[in-house]
Amino acid sequence: MQTNKTINETIKIFHGPQHPGITGNMSVELDLAGETIQRAKTHVGYLHRGFEKLVERRTVIQAFTIVCRICVPEPDINEQNFAAAVEDLAGIEISERAAAIRTMVLEMARIGALMLWMGGQASSVGLDIVPQWCIADRDLILDLFEELTGGRVYHMYIFPGGVRRELPEGFLEKLSNLCDHLEKRMERYDKIFFENATFQKRAIGVGIVDKNEVIPNGYSGQVLRGCGFKHDVRKDTPYLLYDRLDFEIPVRNEGDVYARALVRREEIRQSIGLLRQLVLIIPDTTGEIMQKIPKHRKFKLPKKETWVKLESGRGEMGYYMAGDGSEKIRRMQVRGPSLIHAYALLERLLVGSELADVAMIMNSLGICPPEIER
Amino acid sequence: MNILASLQPQLCDKFETQAFDLKRDDLAQVIVEKKIWRAVMDYLKEEAGFVTLLTITCTDWIEEERFELNYIFAHETKRCDLMLSFSIARDGESVQTLTDRWPQAEVMERDLHEMFGIVFEGHPNLASFALENWHHTPPLRREFDTLAFVNEHFEFRKGREENVDVKAEAKRLRALKKAKAQAEAEAKKEKGADDADE
Amino acid sequence: MKEGFLIEQERLEHEAAASLKSSGLINDIIRYFRKKSIFVLAYGTGCGAIEMPPTFTSRYDAERFGIRGAATPRQADVIVVSGYLSFKTLRRIIHTYEQMASPKYVIALGSCTINGGMYWDSYNTIKQLDKYIPVDMYANGCMPRPEALLEAFIALQKKIENDEEPSGWERYLENIEWYRQNQRAVLGEDIKPAYEADWYTEGR
Repeated sequence: MQTNKTINETIKIFHGPQHPGITGNMSVELDLAGETIQRAKTHVGYLHRGFEKLVERRTVIQAFTIVCRICVPEPDINEQNFAAAVEDLAGIEISERAAAIRTMVLEMARIGALMLWMGGQASSVGLDIVPQWCIADRDLILDLFEELTGGRVYHMYIFPGGVRRELPEGFLEKLSNLCDHLEKRMERYDKIFFENATFQKRAIGVGIVDKNEVIPNGYSGQVLRGCGFKHDVRKDTPYLLYDRLDFEIPVRNEGDVYARALVRREEIRQSIGLLRQLVLIIPDTTGEIMQKIPKHRKFKLPKKETWVKLESGRGEMGYYMAGDGSEKIRRMQVRGPSLIHAYALLERLLVGSELADVAMIMNSLGICPPEIER
Repeated sequence: MNILASLQPQLCDKFETQAFDLKRDDLAQVIVEKKIWRAVMDYLKEEAGFVTLLTITCTDWIEEERFELNYIFAHETKRCDLMLSFSIARDGESVQTLTDRWPQAEVMERDLHEMFGIVFEGHPNLASFALENWHHTPPLRREFDTLAFVNEHFEFRKGREENVDVKAEAKRLRALKKAKAQAEAEAKKEKGADDADE
Repeated sequence: MKEGFLIEQERLEHEAAASLKSSGLINDIIRYFRKKSIFVLAYGTGCGAIEMPPTFTSRYDAERFGIRGAATPRQADVIVVSGYLSFKTLRRIIHTYEQMASPKYVIALGSCTINGGMYWDSYNTIKQLDKYIPVDMYANGCMPRPEALLEAFIALQKKIENDEEPSGWERYLENIEWYRQNQRAVLGEDIKPAYEADWYTEGR
């Protein structure tokens, strides 16, 4: 009897990597007592490509083409971070117009990433109609990206020194129409998803983050704002054109899955507002979209180090970069928000919660595995 | 008042910093010697308000025989970041762990241990992070040649039969273009000579 | 001793697989239905997984061709290897592929599965997928658009209907030694699944 009991105390389950409820290619090792999780352990490395090594072997311009692949749902933040770090090291100033176009691209990418999150979050609670809608709406943003850059997912548009192409004719008008469309759709999403009784019952009071841990442990993005801290890199240390734009930081106090969802809903609204302002600002901006940069082999970075960061759709994303006087980058390190969220946060949040909530909690943290292991 | 600018005199008075480099309004780098880094870090955390550990990075300066470790902290107001740097020997020198101060240091140190082979004293579990069954040199060290590793372990699919060497082809096209231009110029010259004759 | 998945497939799936080969009206009907109900395993192995949701949702709507997702490998017909594969994922892919019931197919996306692609000099990704598991269809691009993915699926349906050349799973069973040798070369001796045949071993 005694031996039976010890054997049956916990069951070990690998949640992923092949699992429909996991965000990307990673896995969580769970020790279960019944339905309750006793211990959770994150495993990553399924997507490790060694970007940091590959970048060391390439010239700056060659490295630029691969950095966008570090995070797939929202690649433009990587391009911006890479470009900002190179510009900081090489001392290049971009023009006002390039900054405005970059801001627009980043906000479009943010809406796209949040739409994709909405699909994942809804299907994790079994609302299958929401992904059908919002992934189609995200495709409208991708269409605009395709017109602007030529690529649906990977754009390779934000280049050190500016942006690669001028806006196509009539682009801002289309963007403005898209904003109208998305604003209308957001009301429908409120009804079908955010105010849905199923989602509310599942999400309220689940996955509550300890507020004392938030600042020291470096949680960021919606986790931070869902716990009542009014911080956003766009406001705290403004980059590009954000200090000229008018927007609010949405905050909720509950710290649970539902609070994070509401913060994201408000962020989509704010981003639409930002795009509307940019549509008005961009025609008046001046300057070359691309600064003169040295030729391929002569693009050398001085022996200096820098650290740049920005606000991605999931939180604060930073790049550390060191040059060594040659045409190759000495070291580049990517620090995305998911690294801390998937380890320090997720492993704590899961303990004591139910097996059925694992997918929902993971989605609400917005974990993106490729940026954890690079 | 800028937080970093006011921090500089205090920090330089209290500790023997090798350099305080104010890079931007929101970023500064402090370079110290390894023996005092814990004390500086404690000061930054307890008194100066740099309460968040954002990341730990390591740069391999192989020609100077050292690793440079960078601990990047964020201020509690989130308005500025500080990099605390010190150097260690490339081989055999270990660093004290930070897992007792910040839980997120656990995974960052595991990452550095795997990628550079740095040992962190007092770390609870320096197990592998992203790699599996890796017995080679830690991959982010400069002496590890990834291309040689690839050539040793994989073979590439051969290109198509009609594939041409890009450099040779470019050379051939250039020569062709030159010959054509020359021929044209000569034809023009002859024509010009003919015109003159007439 | 034979490995577990080989015995399982011989015992349980041999007849179903043989029916694919033989001709006749009933078998034509079986092939038709098989072609029109393709269940795709929900395993996003790489970048290309980002184009799977658009393919399966309302805008591109792969379900009109009878293509939809399946949660577990036991119920899936197709595994989409969406881009580069690190060693760690390759191990899981082999494990997953061997769990799937034949007839089963592999679609490989992007340039990475053909010759390494962007990551040709990376120390942690494999370069040619078809040395480790058999590939039935490649969709080119980095990454392929949803239209390209759909085209790959439809080409696969044609292949299922015509059934002329041996499918990937047949090649895998025939040349298991060759595949195992390649897998061992990069993964070491202990490729998962390390399990031996248990309840379905000979003589039980």
